Amino acid sequence: MNKNDIKLVIVVLFISILGFDFYYLNRDNNPKIAVVYYDNEQVLTIDLSIIEERKYTVTGFNGEVTFKTLDGKIKVESENSPYHLCSKQGYISESYETIICLPNKIVVKIESSSDIDAEL
Amino acid sequence: MVEYKMKKKIILIMLFIILGINLIIIAFLNMGGKNLTSYSQDYTYMNTYFNIKIYSNSDASKVEEMFTEIDQILSEYHELSDRYNAYNGINNLYYINNNTDNIEYITLDERLYNMIAYGIKMYDETDGLLNINLGHVIDIWKKYREAGTGVPTLEELKNSGSTDINDIVLTDDNQILNNHPSIDLGSLVKGYVTNIIKDFLEENGFDSYLINAGGHIVLGDTYHDDLYRIAIRKPNDDIVGNIVLKISNTAVSTSGGYERYYEYDGVTYNHIIDPNTLFPSSYMQSVSVVSKDSALADILSTTLFLMPIEDGKNLVESMDGVEAVWYDNDNEVIRSSGFSNYE
Repeated sequence: MNKNDIKLVIVVLFISILGFDFYYLNRDNNPKIAVVYYDNEQVLTIDLSIIEERKYTVTGFNGEVTFKTLDGKIKVESENSPYHLCSKQGYISESYETIICLPNKIVVKIESSSDIDAEL
Repeated sequence: MVEYKMKKKIILIMLFIILGINLIIIAFLNMGGKNLTSYSQDYTYMNTYFNIKIYSNSDASKVEEMFTEIDQILSEYHELSDRYNAYNGINNLYYINNNTDNIEYITLDERLYNMIAYGIKMYDETDGLLNINLGHVIDIWKKYREAGTGVPTLEELKNSGSTDINDIVLTDDNQILNNHPSIDLGSLVKGYVTNIIKDFLEENGFDSYLINAGGHIVLGDTYHDDLYRIAIRKPNDDIVGNIVLKISNTAVSTSGGYERYYEYDGVTYNHIIDPNTLFPSSYMQSVSVVSKDSALADILSTTLFLMPIEDGKNLVESMDGVEAVWYDNDNEVIRSSGFSNYE
């Protein structure tokens, strides 16, 4: 190994470290994913980074539960329950927000980072 | 030539210094203060969705054990406070409220006895606004809310049965008089049972936790160098983060009419019934109470929801270690004098 080889190794090492730094410091800290649970079992994950409106359906305890996603937000559009509390709730988009449809045993959580721990 | 070699050496050393600094910075960025692992578990009991987070350095298996024990506690309190279903071998609320046996007194599980005794005590402390003998009235409202097609008359509500707290008679030896009360513990069970879980966690050396019981949150020590950040939702609004509490080792409880309600003839009827009028209360959109005592926070949020905001403010100011924030019917924010200390 001559001196030029060592130089090359050092330069490559240096560039790769810079590359790693760039990746590490710029990595997306907020990949927003909605996770749908039925009876505490995960049944669907939805990428919320899609801007256009999308619809998804899962089977809840009282039948179909339909979700609508739009630009990083998700809401329950329709379900079968006495008070429709989870449809009335509207869109959620943050990790500390949860949609809970007790009669349908459906829970929607958002996986992303936030400096808020919980909401009430 | 010698000079050139020196230069090269200096460049090399500088490169390594940069590398070192770089590693140190990355290491710092990765340090999360206390570095506790976060564990999370969900439960559905008492018509409530519980999420419990434990932050700990202990073995994962120890934390899992805690979660299993908590499941047991919640399930037992669920059965004891259930007034719609009977369970084998348990004298629960259903058993008390619907008992037709020819016995004068019913012997209770000590836990249920204590909860009822607490409810009676709180009736006195809240001048009757917290009334655990409203089961009949609540059932009538529930029937109308589910049908969504009308409103009960005052007559119908009054004829549904007694709401007199003195109908609930406890003896000193864990017994209750068998006279068909209509006990409903919905207004206090969340705060009461989360208090029990909090004590259980701390007794077992778990001091960092977040218990979220849907509108009722109990916090232990934080899991990092900063306090917990708890957002209070603005009623009927998608915007969040209007009010963010920075707190730990305390409880927060919200009572609001904007989630569970129904509309009839252009009027909104929520689920919190005023024992004086037997109708839903409409002084405000919501009220949130901060107090170290989880059970008290729950009871106070219900009580304050049933009072005009000004009266509630006076009550809060008269109490030590209690603060509150209201969203009035115009969705304007009103704070008690010390509330902003938590923001």
